[in-house]
Amino acid sequence: MDATVAEYIRRTVLKMPKDEIKMMLQKWGFLSEAQLQTLNFHQIKDNISHEVVQLCEENSADIKQAAALDIIYNHIYQNKRMWSVYQMKKSGEEDEYFDIADFKKKFKRRIRSALKNVTITFKEYEDNAIWIRVAWGTPYKKPNQYKPSYVVYHSQTPFIFISASMLKSNLPLLCQALIVASNYHDIREMELRSHSLNSLKDIVFKRYSQNFETYTPKPLQGGNVEPENADIRIIHENGREKERIHRLNQEAFGSGPQPQLEFAQYKLETMFKSGPKMDVLDKKEPFRCLVKFSSPHLLESLKSLAPAGMADAPLSPLLTCIPHKARNYFKIREKKKSFVSP
Amino acid sequence: ESADPQQTAFALRKAWTLYSVTPLHRFRRSRLSDYARLLSAFIAAEKQKGLAVEVGVELDIKVALSSLAELRGSELDQAALLVQLSSRSRASSKNSEDKLVWSGWFCSMFGDELSENVPENFTCLPLFLTHGAESYTSLVGSWFQKTFDCCFRRLAISPLNLSWMVAMWAGYKLERAASAVELVFSMPCLSQPLDISYAIHPEDAKALWDTVQKTPGEITQGEVDVFMDCLYAHFHRHFKIHLSAAKLVKVSTGIASAHCDGIVKILHSQYLPGVLMLLTELAISQIQ
Repeated sequence: MDATVAEYIRRTVLKMPKDEIKMMLQKWGFLSEAQLQTLNFHQIKDNISHEVVQLCEENSADIKQAAALDIIYNHIYQNKRMWSVYQMKKSGEEDEYFDIADFKKKFKRRIRSALKNVTITFKEYEDNAIWIRVAWGTPYKKPNQYKPSYVVYHSQTPFIFISASMLKSNLPLLCQALIVASNYHDIREMELRSHSLNSLKDIVFKRYSQNFETYTPKPLQGGNVEPENADIRIIHENGREKERIHRLNQEAFGSGPQPQLEFAQYKLETMFKSGPKMDVLDKKEPFRCLVKFSSPHLLESLKSLAPAGMADAPLSPLLTCIPHKARNYFKIREKKKSFVSP
Repeated sequence: ESADPQQTAFALRKAWTLYSVTPLHRFRRSRLSDYARLLSAFIAAEKQKGLAVEVGVELDIKVALSSLAELRGSELDQAALLVQLSSRSRASSKNSEDKLVWSGWFCSMFGDELSENVPENFTCLPLFLTHGAESYTSLVGSWFQKTFDCCFRRLAISPLNLSWMVAMWAGYKLERAASAVELVFSMPCLSQPLDISYAIHPEDAKALWDTVQKTPGEITQGEVDVFMDCLYAHFHRHFKIHLSAAKLVKVSTGIASAHCDGIVKILHSQYLPGVLMLLTELAISQIQ
């Protein structure tokens, strides 16, 4: 077995939490159940990884199998990576029948026609997700197995999720290969990024509960709102305000759980407008700002701002539009004033 | 008035943790090498007792104390006092260089308010800045407390003081392209914590401050309030969020940055005295 393959397998095993190694090796399926029985999972990880490498040696593992193990680890720990979303466009109208073998063949051919030194690995999952792992080399160097790119593609959709960690120069090639293989003609990057791959899928596949504009909620007749927070000190006035905020929040965010995003970024290039009494800045140039919101669960925290009294209800559409516009990077310019001819 | 760049270079571009210190009793400037020796012995003894927690390679700690005559504001200020802890691994050869593992310095920049009112035999250096492992800070602090009967307290920086700093620093002119004027807010009491970073192009922030400040060289609380209100209003216009209800935890400009936990980084030697003066004032308020 190649020494670099052995080292790569050893390091991959070391990344795994000790109590999950057995499960991942079983999923991998490269070592027999009998071989797995011989492993002592109670020793330190360093020793476990060496034993695993020895067994792989017996089975003559090559880079293909090592790459497959890496996909298994990264599929389970997908949230350790940052994912960007791309959308493909078709020229024709028809939905052609998707042939996975054809897809793989075309993808590999396109990449290899430009770059010989690559390792390409595929794995299909039950939810129709196709995972692709690409390790990149150069015309003169073997592929770097430690900085592969991961692509996740659901064939019934035009969306591609990419976790890069590669030279920017390889990205165009990767995108090209994807559209060629899937019979699309164009691909563009969406302004949507997150560690939570499932949340990105929720957003672009519209799997979260949204507000539907045609739905008009029944006006709440006092006493129906958040019974668990019933605070007898809240008088009727405040009670009505709470209801109003709750209703507006529901309209904006929907009533189900929100997709999990960690940040949203706004590049503001709007004019500064001072308050009526302030004798301050009155430039003709934009007031340039960069605003970044971060949270372990951004949409849930934004949803709780108005009820906490930290924001007005309804919250700004700049924030509430994040899921249905499927973006968390924005550039905001001043709206052009329209002239009304007399 | 600008201090010798050699003397002040160590202070720049490092994150310093701030403390206030009460006046030192019977501190003699002439005995610095004695003090260095005593502190060194103290550290070695504490390590024997197993109290210093540097795991790994056995290290000998060397202590150096020096006076920085240039780092002071007025004639009434004491010169700054620098303490440096270096290590030399016992395993390596005699020729290997010492590695600086911790530094701390005592300073008074226009701290007349305090020094005017202390009896003889007391040395006023109300501001203490440290950089390095907490365990060393603890050791050095304990020794100074025992030896000079003084008291150290972490110096937190309130949102009010942070807003003074950002308003003041935003107004300074910088020759080269400077970094953004950034305010970081935290909103902890929600279902999920939320942090907001609000970064303004330095030219635009300065332009705003210039229209707010009425008298050059002088800043009033009212002007700082107007500046902050403008920033809050611009933010509210876009996001409908009341930043004034959030906690200002960090401010950052091309001059310096400051965090509410009492951590400061100064980037420009030209503005070092100004920043130190502000911090000295905060330290003195905490002592009194």
